[in-house]
This record gives sequence, C-alpha cells and structure tokens, in this order.
Amino acid sequence: MKNCIKISLIFIFLLFSLAGMTQQQRFPKPEFGNGYSQPTPITPEPRALALEYTDVVVLLVVLSLASWMAIRKRSRRGLLWLSVFSLIYFGFYRNGCICSVGSVQNVALTLFDPGYAISITTLLFFLLPLVFTLYFGRTFCAGACPLGAMQDLLIIKPISLPEWLRKTLGIIPYLYLTLAVLFAATGTDFIICRYDPFVGIFRMDAEFHMVILGIAFLLMGMFVARAYCRFLCPYGVILSWMSRFSKWHLSITPVACIQCKLCSDSCPFDAIDYPTDEKQSKSTKWGVNRFLVYAILIPLWIFIGGFAGSRAHTWISKANPTVYLAELLVSNPEVRNDQKNLDVQAFLSSGKPLETLVKEATVIRRKFYTGSWIAGGFMGLVIGMTLLSQVVYRKKADYQPHKGNCYSCGRCMNFCPVKK
Amino acid sequence: MKNKGIVIFLIILSLIIVGVVVLDYNASKPGMQPANPYEFNVDPFSKIDSALIRYKESRNLALNFSEPTGISFRGNQLFVVGDQKMQIIEPAGKLMKEVSFDQKPTCVYASTDEIFVGFQKSIAVLNRDGVKIADWNSFSDSTVITSIAEQSGTVFVADAGKRIVRKFNLGGKPQGEIVGKSGNDQIHGFIIPSPYFDLAFNMDGELWVVNPGKHSLENYTVDGKLRTWWQASSIKIEGFSGCCNPAHFAFLPDGSFVTSEKGMIRIKTYKPSGEFEGVVAAPSKFAEDGHAPDLAVDNQGNIYALDSDKKMLRLFVKK
Repeated sequence: MKNCIKISLIFIFLLFSLAGMTQQQRFPKPEFGNGYSQPTPITPEPRALALEYTDVVVLLVVLSLASWMAIRKRSRRGLLWLSVFSLIYFGFYRNGCICSVGSVQNVALTLFDPGYAISITTLLFFLLPLVFTLYFGRTFCAGACPLGAMQDLLIIKPISLPEWLRKTLGIIPYLYLTLAVLFAATGTDFIICRYDPFVGIFRMDAEFHMVILGIAFLLMGMFVARAYCRFLCPYGVILSWMSRFSKWHLSITPVACIQCKLCSDSCPFDAIDYPTDEKQSKSTKWGVNRFLVYAILIPLWIFIGGFAGSRAHTWISKANPTVYLAELLVSNPEVRNDQKNLDVQAFLSSGKPLETLVKEATVIRRKFYTGSWIAGGFMGLVIGMTLLSQVVYRKKADYQPHKGNCYSCGRCMNFCPVKK
Repeated sequence: MKNKGIVIFLIILSLIIVGVVVLDYNASKPGMQPANPYEFNVDPFSKIDSALIRYKESRNLALNFSEPTGISFRGNQLFVVGDQKMQIIEPAGKLMKEVSFDQKPTCVYASTDEIFVGFQKSIAVLNRDGVKIADWNSFSDSTVITSIAEQSGTVFVADAGKRIVRKFNLGGKPQGEIVGKSGNDQIHGFIIPSPYFDLAFNMDGELWVVNPGKHSLENYTVDGKLRTWWQASSIKIEGFSGCCNPAHFAFLPDGSFVTSEKGMIRIKTYKPSGEFEGVVAAPSKFAEDGHAPDLAVDNQGNIYALDSDKKMLRLFVKK
C-alpha cells in the first residue's frame, strides 16, 4: 500500500514537472515596462496533454465514486464532499474549462464543421457523464459538476415552485440547447460558455456584468435551488433523457417504502413524485381524449415551430460576426471611416474584398435557414410533448425520485427512516 | 401570498439576469465592443528629456527611392538599396553609380573589395564598381535575409525566416550555421517574431547578433559559441520595448552600439558594456508607426539613418 502511495506521488510530481516544461511560451510576452497590465484572455491557456488526460481520469474517478455513493453507499455526506472536491478541482483549479456542459458545443461543431476536430478529452468529457447517467442516473450533477456544486452549497431556503411554472420554465433549457447547437454548428459562438454565470467566478476575472449575472444566479439559488441546473442547463436536457432510462437509480428508501411521507418535502428541486391518487386513475375517458388530441397536434406544433424558426433565421443569423459585419458594411458604407470600429478596420486591413465577405455571409445565412427550421421544429416537438405529458398518467405507489429531474444529491435518503 | 418577499426578490433577479444577457449580446456585436483592451498609451514614453539627446541632425539627403530598405558605409561611400536598385552615393550627396536588379533588395553590406546585396532568398555579390560577379541562391524557401557582414573571408548572413545566422566563404560555399543555442541554461536560440534580424562586427572583429525577441545583443565566436550578451527590456528610454527590438544596429568607432527601434522609433547609443548612453534621435523625429531606420556609421562616428518613411538619408552628428 505504501509503495502504491509512493509511486502515485512520484507519478503526480513527474506529471506536473512535465506540464511546467511543456507550458513554456515559445516567445516571451512583449515587454512594455511599467504602466501596462495585460488583459486576461477570455479562455484559459491550453493545458499540457498529460494534464488533460489526468482531468479525464479524475472525472472518471469522481463519477464512479458519485455513483457508488448514490446507489450503494447511500451517503449524502460523501456526495457533498465529492461535490466540494469537484468545485475546487474542475471549477477553481481548472477554471471551469473544458466542462461537460460546454462540450455539447464542441460536439456540435465537430459534427457540422469538417475543419474542426474535437479532442479526445473533450469528447470524453461529453460522453462519460452520459454513459454513467445511462447506468446510474444523474450522479454527474450530484458529485462532478462544479456549476451544480456551487449552487448546491448555497441553497438556504428552497421554495417549491408551482408545477405550471416548473413546466413552463423547464422549456428554457431545450431552447438554450437548441440555440447553443445552432450557433456552434454554424461557427457563430459558444453561447453556453459566453453566458456561463459561474466561470468568471472560477477564474476570478469576470467582467462586471458577468459578476452581476453570477451573483444573481447564486442569490436566486438560495431560494430556487439549482436555478441554473433546472431552468437553463442545456447539458441537463440530455442527462435528463439518459437518466429516464437509467438501469440503476438512487432510491429514497433502501427497501420497501412505508409511506411515512417524511421525505415528501425533502427535495429542494421538486424532483420527488408522490404516489398517484386513486381517483385520478379512474377518470380515464376524458384523459384519453385529451391525450389523442395532444398527440395529433404534435406534427402541427413541429411545423409551426419550424416555420417560426425559418422566419426568424435572418434575425438569429445576425449573431454571427461575419453576417453582422457584412450587413454593417453593406448597409452603412460610411462605417469604413470609423477608426474606432476595430472589427471593420481589421477586416479592411486584411485586404479581403467585400464581395468575398458577403459570399461567406450568404453561405452562413443559408445554414441558419436550414438550422432554424430544424431548431424550430424541435422546439415545437418539445412544446407538444410537454403538453402531452400533462395528460399521461403513470401509476406510482411510492414516493420516488423523478428519474429525469433527480440530481441524485441524496438529500431525500437522509429523511427515510427505513434502513437496510 | 406565501413568501411574497422572496417571490418579488426572485422576479427582480430574473429581470437582472435577462437584462445582463441582452446587454451583453448586443454589446458583443462587431464594432460595438468597448475600447481596445490591449491598447497601451505609449505617448508619455515618446517624450524624451532633451538632456539625454547627444546628437543633432546636421543634414539630410532626399533619396530617389520609393522604398529604401538598407544602407552600408565603406571607404567614404554610402551604399543604399531599395526598390529594385542600389545607389552608391558620396556623403556630400552626389550620386556615383546606380545598379539595377530584377527584385527588391532587403539589405546591403560593403566590404573592402565586394558589395553584398541581400534579397529575400538570395544574395548578389558585386565588385566595388557595381558589376555583379556572383549570385548565391542556395537558400531554403522560408529564408528571409535581413543582414549581411563579412570578416576575414567569411560572410555571415542573418536569416530571419529560418532564425539562424548562415556562414559562407567568399565563393558562396556554406560554412555552417549559428543557431544561437549555447548551453542548457541558455537554450533560447534566436527569437525572431518579425523579419528584423541584424548582425555586425565591431572594430575588434567580434560578431554581434541581435536577438530581438529577447531584447538582447549577443556576441558569438565565429564558430557560433555565445561569448557574452547584454539585454535591456523596457519601454523606458534605456531599454528596448515591444515584441522584438532593436531592429537594426551598428558600431561607433569606439565600440559603442547605435540601435534603432521599430514601433516607437528611436535611435540610441549604448556603451560597449551595454549600458545606456544617450539618444541620437527621439521618436518625434520620425513618422508615427513608421519603419525602423537602418543605420550606418562613418569613420568619424557620424550616424546615417535611412528614413524609409520620409525617403531620406539623415545624418546625425555629435553635439
């Protein structure tokens, strides 16, 4: 055992020494002397490859531990400390990059842009939590996600939101995911990273308005537990899908539920499904009719969504810098004389003709047209399915975590008086 | 309503979140960004204390070049290259000879018997009458020749593209390379972020090479061993600033260095030990964002600066 520890320590020392060597800058930074402070880059400096692989190993270990603690050990305390570790390691030490949440965009970009190749570590950051979720539920959210950990630690007085509000706000992550994929696929922007409210806190260098955003989310999270996870996180959408089919999942009680109701208010995320009312199960005819109507309406929702998306593609595509710049130069030629417009001046000094820029913008806008049809159609499907879920009746005999919405944090387990 | 205060608080937070996202989205459009965050106002550093200026401009010669690029002084003659030609000029300004080329020269060096004219990827060797006697073309595709000097029958060529100093005999046969790596603790090599890479021999026959990325001047043996060096990194007058400086240098008869910098153009002198001595020409003498002047020094220690922005040869003499 001692030898193992020694070997591990030597390995870690060598790894960090190697990283230091490989991270030397090829050229020294320009020397400006006193009075100049170089702005911090938006993205952190690339890590040595060995450290990137280390990150993947750490993620794998954390996911394994989180799954073990949620399913087998049933330890809320263990999950809590694991999430603190993840917050420190993946959040503050690794500056929150690359994270599984943002990796959705890298995957989208690599699927649609042949010129972009996703790194194996990024792909693993995307896939590993999904695979674990498919087997053990959202243990990634419980123990490995620094964004979730930060919010989880600040839950003070969680309030229960009405179901209609939860359902309505629950559509936002789908919209966010759709836009994130659309923007990444068209090479426009990585909006998940841009509007990550916590990454600036991790890096301690956020701009003022992003600090406000982060603080607003944390303050909100004191009362609406994990507000970002529940009503924004785009990766959570995919995790939720996977978790619904998870082979094993955290359960409130280790054996049979005794219906003591002690756990009924234990979940700050409103993720516990109550036993179904017998009366509700008997009112079937009206329910079946509504189900049929809503099911028939789904294709219509898809079409409406797709049509609305296609109509909006011109406006959405203006988020792309190339499209925006081309429009700006065509509609306001006088902007060429604006020396303070750095983007225009950079374009003019590149020597590229305006016609080339317009052609590039046209190609991008065409991509937005197709993408907006698909994105709108998907959102129509989400709305249709959300309505349909209102009339789908599932009989539940016990208090159970909702497999899609449960973060496997383990709070509810502590409330259950039943022990193995 | 239950938790009324909390609900109002949450609504306000929601509005703040939406507001921040909308504001950021609109502010991140091209041309909407705030002022360049990387900009550094160097104006205060361009003002030079007049007590530090040890030279005065005594004369200048308008040149018949649209883009002069290099200068050399030998035997009371000035050799100026640019466009697709070389002019041999008397210090008084009289044009002695003009030689045409089929490409644009980048630098020139006149030895006792020959004139070496450097192009991007080749060197033309001329006799002192301006007659071409050889072409050296055995360079790689990424070669960018920026400076030439000759000593005891060996020609040293600064190749900014390959970041090496090439050595040739007078027949043009390669004699090796200097890569600027001298030992485990000094494995930097030549750091050349832009095509400015100068070398020269001092009056004692010692080879000095600029390592612009390190803001240093390095003394090598002809075998390529680093013997000594000095470095001066600072935006202040006593140092070199930016990514890579000095761009050019030459030696005064007493072994002092004359340096010229790009970016904020300034010409200065340093003692043979590398200690800052004084200013030859302040930035106000040159065009803003102009080119670093190539330098030549005559036997009396007068400094010729090739001002390629004003297309003139400017003579600075000690006050």
